[in-house]
Amino acid sequence: MRLRRYGAEPHTLAGAYALDAVTGADRAQFQRHLGRCRSCARELRELREATARLAGAVAVPPPEGLTERILTAAARTPQLPPAAARIAAASPARRRALPRLALTAAAACFAAVAVALGAVTLSARDQLGAAALREHTIAQVLSAPDAVLVTARVTHGGTATVVMSRRDHGLVLTTEGLPQLPPSRDYQLWLMGPSGDRPAGMLPAPHDGMTGPVFATGLRPGDWLGLTVEPAAGTSRPTSHPILMLNLAA
Amino acid sequence: MGLREAGRRERSGTAAAAATGDLDDLLGAVARGDQDAFEAVCSRAVPTVLGVVRAVVRDPSQAEEVCQEVLLEVWRKASRFQPGRGSAMAWVTTIAHRRGVDRVRSERRSAERELRAAVHAVDYDDVAETVEARLDRERVRRCLGALTELQRESVTLAYYGGYTFREVAALLQVPEGTVKTRMRDGLIRLRDCLGGQK
Repeated sequence: MRLRRYGAEPHTLAGAYALDAVTGADRAQFQRHLGRCRSCARELRELREATARLAGAVAVPPPEGLTERILTAAARTPQLPPAAARIAAASPARRRALPRLALTAAAACFAAVAVALGAVTLSARDQLGAAALREHTIAQVLSAPDAVLVTARVTHGGTATVVMSRRDHGLVLTTEGLPQLPPSRDYQLWLMGPSGDRPAGMLPAPHDGMTGPVFATGLRPGDWLGLTVEPAAGTSRPTSHPILMLNLAA
Repeated sequence: MGLREAGRRERSGTAAAAATGDLDDLLGAVARGDQDAFEAVCSRAVPTVLGVVRAVVRDPSQAEEVCQEVLLEVWRKASRFQPGRGSAMAWVTTIAHRRGVDRVRSERRSAERELRAAVHAVDYDDVAETVEARLDRERVRRCLGALTELQRESVTLAYYGGYTFREVAALLQVPEGTVKTRMRDGLIRLRDCLGGQK
């Protein structure tokens, strides 16, 4: 078949992708392609109907108590608001920078937090230089022409708000209402992508229930933003299940 | 035909509407925080989710854990489900398979599992099941049987074994490009064979 000759085309990965048999750079490459290729997206949807049937073919009756445990856990678990979902789930082609007004409001909100935290930092120790630099880089991301705002609920409670600029390869994150951790544990941020998981800093101690703004740089295509609970010193690789996974490309 | 009629009959029943209602509609209610709707989603989806996760993860207690994570993700992200972009069951099983594969790959990195184990991961006959599930299973098995051997092995090793296409190529000792196209061709044939038999 003529189609076969073009084996190197990302398009041919649709089957493997639908089977979750694509990882790393292959996966990132196909996802980029998917953003541009409408017929691929349609094909993928159809192939996933077939894989759903493969799943149905191995259905098993659940052991006693499993469904009850799920229902109990769900009753305690906050849901993602639809508005956040619209922003976060929009396809790359359809995603646009936020209206200027919304961004300005977000920037103002961030700036207020930055000022408050800046004051705390100042009074705390001699971190003037670091704080000033941080506020500068944060302001840069917030004012970037391609800045996009995403909010999401965090598993076990709280919300995270991210403003990101692909131009600046950076993002700014604040969180609100994250559960308090024992002294031995801290929240750690990650950039998780085809090139592996990279630590992106620890969240500072909350102030009035809010943390951040935290600045992370070095965004690469296909990256997700992850948040995990780790030993207070931080780790080089995530050791627990992420309580937040934000698709930065979607 | 008979199945479609059965499906219609089920859906038109009012008493058991919540338990047999359309999964797409139920997810809409779940997105609004409706816990009864979520219970109905669970009764429909948990057997399938648990089945696919168990096929991939193998260990029953880990499979239960992952299954719970999957359903919680469904609960949390119900507002993101877009009915126009595929069926609710495909959305749920995509989450389930992805999570199962993530779990098994993080544990498999050091210890390569045997090909034989993956091929036999699916034991079709070890569970009691509903008539509907058995009929569905028969259709899928028949359609899998209509694939070429390489298509079938590529698809089942990836889906039930959790292997990447590169790993499948190494296991089957065929070029990666060949496996890639066989996976796609195999799924397209499977889709065509199963199509209209919903």
